[in-house]
Amino acid sequence: MSKPTSSENIVSQKYDRCLADLLVKAGVGFGVGVVASVILFRRRTWPVALSTGFGMGAAYADCDRSFNPARVPGTRIVTQTGDVPQA
Amino acid sequence: MYRAIPVTRHASSAAGRGLVRATRRRLATTTPPPAAPKQSKSVVRKILFYSVAATGTFYAGSAFVSFENQRYRELFTENVPLGQALVEYGEAHKWDELTIEQVVVYSVDTAKYVSDFVRRQLGTSTQDTPEQKDKEATAEKTRTAKEPTSAMQASKERVKAAAASLKTAVKKSEETAVEGSAKAVAIARHQAAEFNDSLDDLIRRAEAALAGKPIDTLPEATTTPSQPSPSPPDTTPPRADDVDVVVVSDKNVYAAPLPIGFEPPPGFSRPSPPKKTPPKTAPNAEAAPEPLPLVAPAVSELAVSEPVISQLASTIDNLASYLNSNPTAAEKAKDVLATAKIDLTELAGRIEKIKEDEQQKLEQKLDEQTREYSLKLLEVEMEAQDRLDGQEEDFRKFFDSEKARFVQVYREKLDQELKTQTELINERLKEEVIAQGIEMQRRWIREVKVRVEQERGGRLAKLDELASNLKRLERLALDNSSYLDENIRVHGMWTALRAMHAAIDAPVRKPFREELRILRHIAVAKDDAIISSALESLEQSDAPDVGVEPFADLASWFTTSVAPRVSSVALVPDQNAGVLSHVASHLLSSFRFQRRGLVQGSDVLSVLSRAEHFMDEKDLDSAARELNQLKGTAKELLKDWLEAARRRLEVQQALEVIQSQATLASLLVV
Repeated sequence: MSKPTSSENIVSQKYDRCLADLLVKAGVGFGVGVVASVILFRRRTWPVALSTGFGMGAAYADCDRSFNPARVPGTRIVTQTGDVPQA
Repeated sequence: MYRAIPVTRHASSAAGRGLVRATRRRLATTTPPPAAPKQSKSVVRKILFYSVAATGTFYAGSAFVSFENQRYRELFTENVPLGQALVEYGEAHKWDELTIEQVVVYSVDTAKYVSDFVRRQLGTSTQDTPEQKDKEATAEKTRTAKEPTSAMQASKERVKAAAASLKTAVKKSEETAVEGSAKAVAIARHQAAEFNDSLDDLIRRAEAALAGKPIDTLPEATTTPSQPSPSPPDTTPPRADDVDVVVVSDKNVYAAPLPIGFEPPPGFSRPSPPKKTPPKTAPNAEAAPEPLPLVAPAVSELAVSEPVISQLASTIDNLASYLNSNPTAAEKAKDVLATAKIDLTELAGRIEKIKEDEQQKLEQKLDEQTREYSLKLLEVEMEAQDRLDGQEEDFRKFFDSEKARFVQVYREKLDQELKTQTELINERLKEEVIAQGIEMQRRWIREVKVRVEQERGGRLAKLDELASNLKRLERLALDNSSYLDENIRVHGMWTALRAMHAAIDAPVRKPFREELRILRHIAVAKDDAIISSALESLEQSDAPDVGVEPFADLASWFTTSVAPRVSSVALVPDQNAGVLSHVASHLLSSFRFQRRGLVQGSDVLSVLSRAEHFMDEKDLDSAARELNQLKGTAKELLKDWLEAARRRLEVQQALEVIQSQATLASLLVV
């Protein structure tokens, strides 16, 4: 955010941050699965995949929320004005 | 009578009337007989009397003289004892103003009073005094009648002396009258008349004195008892004459000479003309007896003029009658009576003759004197007339000379006045002439000025025209200058505008604050509301500081970055657009058909293509309008570009307004 950007670059920036967040959260899940498989599950593979999946899922949620900040779990925003036809 | 003597003497001494004094002295000389026996005593008395009389006369005379003579008065008052007191007494009682007439009046008055007093005294004491007096009077008459001629002579002399004295008095009065005028003449006339009166009086007295002589021929006839009563009135006439004077003086007669036409002072009356004693006819004259020749008829013609003679005749007749009664004595007495009768008639004739002579003489003398005095009067009158004439002449001459002198003086004065007046008038005239000259000069100058003005009228009018033309030129020049100024201003504005345009249309973005300032300065000078508001809106924004994006930049920015990114999100729904829709739009937009030109439709891609078209057309305004219609994510992406384009459009719009206004101004200028 330090360098000024034009308004046309907003979506690109969001893409960049989502990818970075996915990478970080997938890695963190993968690590946690490895550790948990080694320690708990006598070297089984499925905990690693599961935790990586959890990570990737959290990153997706965050990314989606960044694109649509109004999307809050449990809530739904309904447009009251009907003048704009649904595309 | 004795007591009356000193008083009458005193009065007579003051009056100086010879006749009265004579009678008084005659009466006084009768007094010595009773005092004759004592000779020595009479001598002493005489000496005493004379000394007293002399002293009194001296004092009185000195007093009167001292009133007349000043030197004598001083001598009298200083040297004589009692002189001072006497003079003062005289002054206090106004002796110095005393006249002879007054003295006479006073003295006669006093004598009258004294005689009245004595008579009253004697009348109350004894009744027979009148008879005694009569006796004495007759005795005196007999004594005085013994020398009738001498008495006549004396009386004549006295008359003469009186006449002389009166003459001198009249002369004196004439002398004084010479200096006076008609008044003095009148006084002299009056005195002459008085003198005539006194002469008549004297005549009467002389007659009385003459009458006294026949009386003394009567021997003691009055002692007859048959004639006691008529005798007193007979003997009284000479006395009554004296008393008459007294009676006249008793009535406050103003005896002093009066001027003609003047009245005596109040309380006084004019002296009544001397009364003629009415001739008394003896009533007893016809009582004479027949046998004896009667004397009264013989002397009857005389009796008319001389009553005394008739009286005497009657007395003789009485004697004759007495003799007739005594026939014994008649014979003896007849001769005597005859002689007496003859004598009487002779005497009467002589008396008559003497009287006539005397009268004639007196009349002659009087006539002479009258003539003389009248002559003198005439002379004096003529002299006085001459003198008056001379005086009148002198007066006339003096009057004429004075008149001439006055005329001269007045003429000189008038000349002087005339000269001063002339000078004054000349001065005034000169001043007026000067003033008029000044006035005329002024008028002339004015007229000349007017003429010159009129002459110059044409040229001046031309000059005025020139001046008006010059003014017009000036106006034109001014207008021109104002036009020029306006043109310069418009030109300046245009220049500034052009500079602004240059600044905006520059290939790089740069601030145009300086240009805006210059433009605003020029615009403020014009004070245009529209330009002012436009410039105001420009100044309020930050565009002048940051400048505006050039169109080329905006166009490149649009085509290179804005348009692909917008087209990539063209399919993203407006609401609930998540990551997947975006990713899908991005993937799908790459598979769409690129359309060019004015594409119909309101979707993002159509709008974007129309904008691209407008951008190609260099119509930033329309492109911005098209892109401004987008919504949702596309609008989000177009936000910055739209901002820059709108700023540029604002500036461009303001500049256009200013430019149109400047065009209008330049159009207005011409």
